[in-house]
Amino acid sequence: MQTYVQFAILGLGLGAIYIGLGTGLLLVHRATGIINFAQGAMAMWGAYVFAQLRLDGTLTFPIGSIDLGRRPTVLVSALIGLLMAVLLGLVAHYLVFRPVRHAPVLAQVVVSVALMITIQALVVLRFGPNNIKVDSILPEGTWSLLGVEVSSREILMALIMAALSGVVWAYMRFTRAGVATRAASENERAAVLMGFSPDRLAAVAQVIASVLGTIAVTLGSALTGLNPENYTLLVVPALAVLLVARMESIGIVVVAAIVLGAFQSIIGLLVTKPWWPVWAQSGFDQIVPFAVVMVILFVLGRRLPSRGSLQTIRLPDVAIPKLKLVPTLILLAGGVAALALTTGSYRFGITTSIIVMLLALSYVVLTGYLGQISLAQGAFAGAAGFTLSKVTTGWGIPFPLSIILCGLVAAALGMLVALPAFRIRGAQLAIVTIAAALAIERFVFNNYSLTPPEGNPIAAATLFGINLSVREGRDLSRLSFSLMVLVVAAILVFLFIRLASGDTGRTFLAVRANERAAASSGINVRMTKLIGFGISAFIAGIAGCLIGLSRGQLSAESFTVFTGLQILAVAYLGGITSVGGAVVAGILGPLGIIYVLLRGVFDLGAYYPLISGLGLIITAILNPVGIAGATREQVAWVRRKLSRTPPAEPRSDATTATPTPKEPSRV
Amino acid sequence: MSDAPASTRAGLETRSLTVRYGGLVANSDVSITVRPGEVVGLIGPNGAGKTTFVDAVTGFTQCEGEILLNGTPIQELPPHERRASGLSRTWQSGELFGNLSVAENLLVAARKGGWRTLARDLFGRRKADAGRDLVENALAVVGLEGVTDTLARDLTLGQQKLVGVARALAGGSEVLLLDEPAAGLDSMESQAFASRVRAIAQGGENGAGDGDGPGILLIDHDMSLVLSVCDVVNVLEFGKHIFSGTPAEARTDPTVVAAYLGAPVEATHV
Ligand SMILES: Nc1ncnc2c1ncn2[C@@H]1O[C@H](COP(=O)(O)OP(=O)(O)O)[C@@H](O)[C@H]1O
Ligand SMILES: [Mg+2]
Repeated sequence: MQTYVQFAILGLGLGAIYIGLGTGLLLVHRATGIINFAQGAMAMWGAYVFAQLRLDGTLTFPIGSIDLGRRPTVLVSALIGLLMAVLLGLVAHYLVFRPVRHAPVLAQVVVSVALMITIQALVVLRFGPNNIKVDSILPEGTWSLLGVEVSSREILMALIMAALSGVVWAYMRFTRAGVATRAASENERAAVLMGFSPDRLAAVAQVIASVLGTIAVTLGSALTGLNPENYTLLVVPALAVLLVARMESIGIVVVAAIVLGAFQSIIGLLVTKPWWPVWAQSGFDQIVPFAVVMVILFVLGRRLPSRGSLQTIRLPDVAIPKLKLVPTLILLAGGVAALALTTGSYRFGITTSIIVMLLALSYVVLTGYLGQISLAQGAFAGAAGFTLSKVTTGWGIPFPLSIILCGLVAAALGMLVALPAFRIRGAQLAIVTIAAALAIERFVFNNYSLTPPEGNPIAAATLFGINLSVREGRDLSRLSFSLMVLVVAAILVFLFIRLASGDTGRTFLAVRANERAAASSGINVRMTKLIGFGISAFIAGIAGCLIGLSRGQLSAESFTVFTGLQILAVAYLGGITSVGGAVVAGILGPLGIIYVLLRGVFDLGAYYPLISGLGLIITAILNPVGIAGATREQVAWVRRKLSRTPPAEPRSDATTATPTPKEPSRV
Repeated sequence: MSDAPASTRAGLETRSLTVRYGGLVANSDVSITVRPGEVVGLIGPNGAGKTTFVDAVTGFTQCEGEILLNGTPIQELPPHERRASGLSRTWQSGELFGNLSVAENLLVAARKGGWRTLARDLFGRRKADAGRDLVENALAVVGLEGVTDTLARDLTLGQQKLVGVARALAGGSEVLLLDEPAAGLDSMESQAFASRVRAIAQGGENGAGDGDGPGILLIDHDMSLVLSVCDVVNVLEFGKHIFSGTPAEARTDPTVVAAYLGAPVEATHV
């Protein structure tokens, strides 16, 4: 019993961070209606600045740094860290969130995810990818609680964060600005009538949230050290806490955060017990936030307040694809030529680009056509990849059958994730899918009893006696492998075009446009979503298998949550509604040909994640049709000019936002 | 229950349909029958519960009471299955698929997705312009031409309402519920629309007029339209079903006159 109490108390450190992030999420959501997936990443920056100052007296900026000569005191360092948090809050508001404040939910989700990968990439660049030690501001010590010796530092952290949350609560409750913020969440006009600019209120909320999160992470990271991935992803349990509080009650955020932190810590103790099944030892604590999210969304479902929910997702128009023989042949010949004329890392880069194109295509199906958001595509790909390891080395199932089977496994997983999409959409669906992705990564991919740490070898493919392995001898990128990838991709794109130009594609677009109207036209909306998630995950799964085959073996690092998010970034960047967009995404994508060029010619490979994050922020704000869409518009424009006929009718598109009915209170 | 043959074309019947929104009773004990080939009017002031009635019947809101389609209870079915069994509707606010062309809007209703459709899309043979006839026919029935390939959101409001009707007809309909389809039409267009509604009910889609058309429930604010076109008129007020009878009876019924018409007149715009 004693140990349980001690572990519960140790969990308060985590709980304190959840309080900080959860309160910030709530405040920002109230003020702007946006769910900020970058909350954890933002909170991390100031903490890193603090840690670096205390380590060697270097004040680090996103660009450049100042060597202060000697290490400033704890107080001065902490104040500088908080100053950075204030600035970051302002930048996030004015440069990132303000431009999309009236944009569709999807754009808002994408922008905040983009900010998240940008800051995370920046942290890796400026402070390194590894864990760094953080000075403890609070003294270590023990207290005696009910006769049990417990650590006092965690209790102090939780108390401090709870007190700060209390201050935020009082701000919302008793100050005119706070009341106006709450009013603005129902009706912006009300805030204006009270004499406040909703915009300024949102900036204030963003700054408070950033500061609160930074304090929490600065205090809490003394326990574990700072690490870019883990702290960025702490937003996921914080989102679970936010949902428990129904996005409304700061009091519940505090209680839920503490309970969740303590509970995860106790699970950490339980999994070490001899009776605990070995296969469930690692990553089980990450199942908890996911389970909380699922239960809350199923129980509360539609009753969660969400300003975005009435808005249909407004996406760029879809040009129904047609299969044209000549362009198809030219494209294929171009692909073959590119592969045949290159060798080594360049050929491998092109091959990876083709695979990333498929991953982007899985987003075209799901988001571009069906209007659903998923942050779990990387997990689908990974699930298929790891299955392929078992299927090829364990059961000896031969190629094409092996990858089809694994694609179907991914499809089944995708349909499972589709179940919550029956009831929720928009930002909440993004929360579910990122929680699912994290749970799968930690519980399956990182679980050594399911995926051995010494690696998950994948047997090379052969077909009709042709050796399709990726390397042989000193050739690290064989042509026959690359051609196999090209053929597989061509088949999938062909099938996608059949589907997109057929009844299924039309049904998807109808569901994307208006679920009610679709149901009243006899469409089974749930079945349609199930099919869409299934197809999308199948494509992602095949891509995951190809990644596996191209590496020869897989580890958890092959498919992190961030891999999935980067794919979303390039898919959106390329243009999420068309095959052309997916091709562009493939060219730009992680480890693809542009990456290889950046690394090989310009020596800029390390900047790739940062560039893709920034590129995504800019695209989501300025050019929602993506590169492919913009090109198509320009081509159409040039054609009109050339043919000198006046445009038939001013066809509106997403950039010149059509007058779709908005919620009156928000306009 | 009556015997099968009699009930196969019995149309729509609601029995004591009641809808509550929190404390508000938006429909209270509404019993309305719409037989095939018949045009039934549903009128009442704003907020009387007309749209609520359509929502309840088509499965978009919870309700108590019974809903029978051709003698079969359907209140447990989800909306798309009610549509599949022949109950179709339009929406007061249009609710077209704005990013699809008019033709595609109709094809959505006529050719549904599903696993089998998926297999056919992927691996089956395909005709170049399947469904083109269906689209042209459905548009001709509502009197729209030359807009087949226009994006739905680029249509005028009146045209959008007509496409809504065409979409509800596409794929077959036993009973058609029209929620203020004529709002947004001028009085000339309204008159033309009225005669089309009659023609549709009489099975005029094929020019036959042989009376095998769908039953139609028509909601409208335009009293002259409703009274001139309907066989039966129902009046709702504050969710209560205060009148049901022929247009002639409606014109003279004291409750209707007092509650809704204001004065016993031939035709007024309310
Ligand atoms: N989804 C809903 N939730 C709560 N109240 C509703 C809802 N839909 C309609 N109402 C209320 O029910 C009443 C009837 O509305 P409605 O059926 O739209 O009237 P009508 O179509 O006759 O103008 C109104 O008071 C309206 O405010
Ligand atoms: Mg109405």
